[in-house]
Amino acid sequence: MPSSPRASYGKWFDILLAIPLAGYLLLIAGLVCAIFLAITPGEVSAALADHDIWDAILLSMITSTLSTFLSVVVAIPAGYILSRHRFWGHSLADTLLDLPIVLPPLVMGLCVLLFFSTGVGYWLDRGIVEEGLFIYQPLGIVLVQFIVGCAFAVRVIKSGFDALDPSYEEVAMTLGAGRWQTFYKVTLANVAPAILAGAVISWARIFGLFGPVLLVAGTMRGRTEIMPTTIYLEQSIGHLGVALVIGAMMIVISMAMLILFKRFGGKGLIW
Amino acid sequence: MSNPAIELEHVCFKIGVFEMSDFSLSISQGEYFVLTGPNGSGKTLLIKLIAGLYRPLAGRVRLSGRDVTPTPPWNRNIGYVPQDGLLFRNRTVRGNIRFAMEVRRITSKRIEQSVDRVAQLLKIAHLLDRSVNGLSGGECQKTALARALVFEPRVLLLDEPVSAIDEDSRDGLCHDLRRIQRALGIAVLHVSHNRREIDLVADRIGILECGRIARVDARESPGANPPSEAAGESRE
Repeated sequence: MPSSPRASYGKWFDILLAIPLAGYLLLIAGLVCAIFLAITPGEVSAALADHDIWDAILLSMITSTLSTFLSVVVAIPAGYILSRHRFWGHSLADTLLDLPIVLPPLVMGLCVLLFFSTGVGYWLDRGIVEEGLFIYQPLGIVLVQFIVGCAFAVRVIKSGFDALDPSYEEVAMTLGAGRWQTFYKVTLANVAPAILAGAVISWARIFGLFGPVLLVAGTMRGRTEIMPTTIYLEQSIGHLGVALVIGAMMIVISMAMLILFKRFGGKGLIW
Repeated sequence: MSNPAIELEHVCFKIGVFEMSDFSLSISQGEYFVLTGPNGSGKTLLIKLIAGLYRPLAGRVRLSGRDVTPTPPWNRNIGYVPQDGLLFRNRTVRGNIRFAMEVRRITSKRIEQSVDRVAQLLKIAHLLDRSVNGLSGGECQKTALARALVFEPRVLLLDEPVSAIDEDSRDGLCHDLRRIQRALGIAVLHVSHNRREIDLVADRIGILECGRIARVDARESPGANPPSEAAGESRE
């Protein structure tokens, strides 16, 4: 016997609400298709033969991965403390964490530049290495990527800790697990999907970061050039085809990351 | 004479508007003590206090004669089963039961022996390799109980362990609890609201009201004649 259909009322109501969704999906798909339709095989092979572009891709991947790693390393304890404890200045700390999310990225870049012009900042930048550690250096890329990406990672990872009832940790402690054992065997193990989601969101934001990277690290060929700055550089000298190829590559890499994320357990948390 | 299994001596405790002052209670080795009372009377807080999840402002908490007032929960050697079991969702039934042995860094062979023994005792050996997500309420609570018993604690703290399961399963689990407690000879502090549940398991009943023990009743033969068994129902 076939199963009874679910009662459905107001078919037109659902159809009406689905129209904005379909419109938005069409817009995204159209924009993505536009890039892939605009590039020619010749432009693709020319871009792939350019060593500078490969350097930019490599530096993009290295800096994004490193700053995502640093973001997650900081976001795990930060998210936990903010989730589990109410302390003096908690609201202020919570608001400050949102600042890199809501602040225009260029303003964030200006703040970093300003900081390195102060006494402490100058010493941090030039105190150890004469040519500088951050300004117009690859580490500067990692720094601005970390500042922006960490805020996103903290937000997502904290929501994972919020969703985990602290009673699980209490039970683990009564079973003989010390504070650290409880943290990694129960807390982190149960919040793993949120940590993964935090890393992916952070990586996605970092990977496409442009404005503050340009301000702090510039875009020197083979030295501080990453994929978003390559697009800017190439289109500014009239090489629109190469810029489009890099754009298409960024879309492919981002899509691959999302698919990997869904494949390895992130589905259901934010998607 | 041996030391009481659980002893609270002039304990003072305050959390929010709830206050407990000069509270004393003693539970003997091998005794099944049920604590009952209205909501907000402090039953769960008392269990958490004994477990070491809260600290008293004054007074002492002793377990088998040892002063554990400053001792963290992981060094108290108590078994604790919360109201809704709180099984670790990322582990199987076996993984949950193994937990207390893993954190004590016991060899794998001994862990498996202990897990099998406690699973037999609770009749959940057939569930060991299942995910905890598909378990019934009764199976969840039995798993939580096995997890709390596997490392052979001297004291078992049960916070309304059968309140979330249906009446038939509840009776069966109460009989299991009493059988296991007698077999292991451990002291049990069991929080319950349910009169029938209390009748099935209690040696002594303490009635808690506004942070004070209002009355303690001793019972002669708990669970001697459970009504459903008298009516000839099979439990297995």
